[in-house]
Amino acid sequence: MLIQTNDLWKIYDVGAEKVQALRGITMDVKEGEYLAIMGPSGSGKSTLMNLIGCLDTPSKGEYLLNGRNVSGMSDDELAHIRNKEIGFVFQTFNLLPRATALHNVELPLIYNGTRSDIRIKKAKESLDLVDLTDRMTHRPNQLSGGQKQRVAIARALVNSPSLVLADEPTGNLDTATGVEIMQLLSRLHKGGNTIIIVTHERDIALYADRIIYIRDGQVEKEEITSGN
Amino acid sequence: MWFLEGVIIAIQSIWANKLRSVLTLIGIIIGVTTLIAVVSVINGVNKYITSRIETLGSNTFIIDKEGLITSEEEWLRARKRKNITVEDMRAVARYCDLCEDVGGTAEPSLTKVKYGADYLDDIWVVGATYNYIDISDVDIDYGRPLNESDDIHRSAVCLVGPDIVTNLIKYGSALGKDIKVGKYYFRIVGVGKSRGSFLGMNQDNWVVVPLTTYQKYFGKRRTISIYAKAKDMGLMEEAQDQARSILRARRKLHYNQKDDFGIMTTATFIELYNNLTATLWLVLVFVSSIALVVGGIVIMNIMLVSVTERTREVGIRKAIGARRRDILWQFLVEAATLSAVGGGIGILIGILFALVLDQVTPLPAAVELWAVVTGLAVASGVGIIFGLFPAVKAARLDPIESLRYE
Repeated sequence: MLIQTNDLWKIYDVGAEKVQALRGITMDVKEGEYLAIMGPSGSGKSTLMNLIGCLDTPSKGEYLLNGRNVSGMSDDELAHIRNKEIGFVFQTFNLLPRATALHNVELPLIYNGTRSDIRIKKAKESLDLVDLTDRMTHRPNQLSGGQKQRVAIARALVNSPSLVLADEPTGNLDTATGVEIMQLLSRLHKGGNTIIIVTHERDIALYADRIIYIRDGQVEKEEITSGN
Repeated sequence: MWFLEGVIIAIQSIWANKLRSVLTLIGIIIGVTTLIAVVSVINGVNKYITSRIETLGSNTFIIDKEGLITSEEEWLRARKRKNITVEDMRAVARYCDLCEDVGGTAEPSLTKVKYGADYLDDIWVVGATYNYIDISDVDIDYGRPLNESDDIHRSAVCLVGPDIVTNLIKYGSALGKDIKVGKYYFRIVGVGKSRGSFLGMNQDNWVVVPLTTYQKYFGKRRTISIYAKAKDMGLMEEAQDQARSILRARRKLHYNQKDDFGIMTTATFIELYNNLTATLWLVLVFVSSIALVVGGIVIMNIMLVSVTERTREVGIRKAIGARRRDILWQFLVEAATLSAVGGGIGILIGILFALVLDQVTPLPAAVELWAVVTGLAVASGVGIIFGLFPAVKAARLDPIESLRYE
């Protein structure tokens, strides 16, 4: 099992009152799975994504990633996990504006001390995987939305992570480009990558093998889709 | 590797915000420029003075009425002492067998010097024994030095500084010309080499006449400074003690009375000079460092702005695996690079400034490698110190909130 969560709670202190963003989430994700997490805004799906992505730690409960308990780790240990195990794809792309596509893709490798020749080789391979070899030296403002998202996906893949975590990956794209990106993710899934996407659009969620519905911080239901 | 990455990021961001970078760096540039210029001038003055003092020779000592004076009170007391006479000098010459080349000069006077219808005011006239040339830093350019016979015969001859030739004699060879010093005529037999000017004081405006001649024409009542050379460097102390005993005996000092004259060596001069100037230099360096602190505060300010502006970048970097120390390093290296660039520019301007000062003003300046290296190190250090707070702030940013930051 790649991901096992056991009764995950996240409680925020907002002044006097406490906000229970997650109220006991228990779920599993197998290696090689393509999972969608769906829910309306305020359902706690972003909080869940932050926990799964090791950007945050739960207030209560256990989260095992690759059999390792991540719940009690320090900031720097979490940074290490994010670097090695998780590739993020964000709605707003989150590329460094002043860096070229190649440098953006290289970035995760810089933080684990990979030698620069290997770094550049891996980054090029990763860009090749998303068909952007010809845009290597372009900066984000010279790229279209779809190209930016493909650079972000290349960056997510460059470290061969256990998990690609995509948060509304098509949210800032037009429908056609969105479909392109979803097809790319499907292709990566077929290539053996584990993918979790967080979305509020059912069309998008249907690309996955399985959908988990979140409402009010709890798992509402699960659905096995026919897949695409 | 990491370091280089940071330097490149820093240089890129300096280049991307040129105007802002220039404004940011002005403080550091001014600070380092001032520091380099001030240190160079201090160095120049120190070197100059030390080299001038050292022309005396390390085994020469000087005996005079006042000794080294460091306060007005001391000076008033010393003025009341008995003068040192030519007879004292001769006694040292005769009885100090560890000494050689004993000579002396009479206290110089400022006098009007005339040649034909032209005249110069306020020329230093020195009465000196013939071996004065050997112990002073004056070298003869052409003509001859004074000799023993001039001393014995109280000849009306003189050596002159090169400026006297330029400004007074003007045409033809100065040798053999008679100039009127005060009320009397002296024949020029030698001309000294130029020593340039120091701190605005002309050092080529002088007349040297034989000591005996000087006393004959300008009076015997002036006190004498005795110059003596120990026969060997190792005999410095003993030679001084001999000379001291001779003078104490001649001046009939009781064993429990202090010397009523002073003995000075190169070492005592340099020590005195260092004592007098050390605090002054320290204050100068301190004051010019203030600009550097101001420069550092500007760097801190701009780094704080930079951290806020790049909150999202920090979020992205953290999301893909940057640890706190990676972010800390990035901003520290950036601040240090920023100020090192400022330091580099400041050093260049500072060196130029020092060279111009050296040429245009009477202040001598000497740029030294260590000052340049220190300047660069201090500038980077300032960057690191003042960059620390913004960098810590950046490193502590929460990745989730930073990613949401607009």
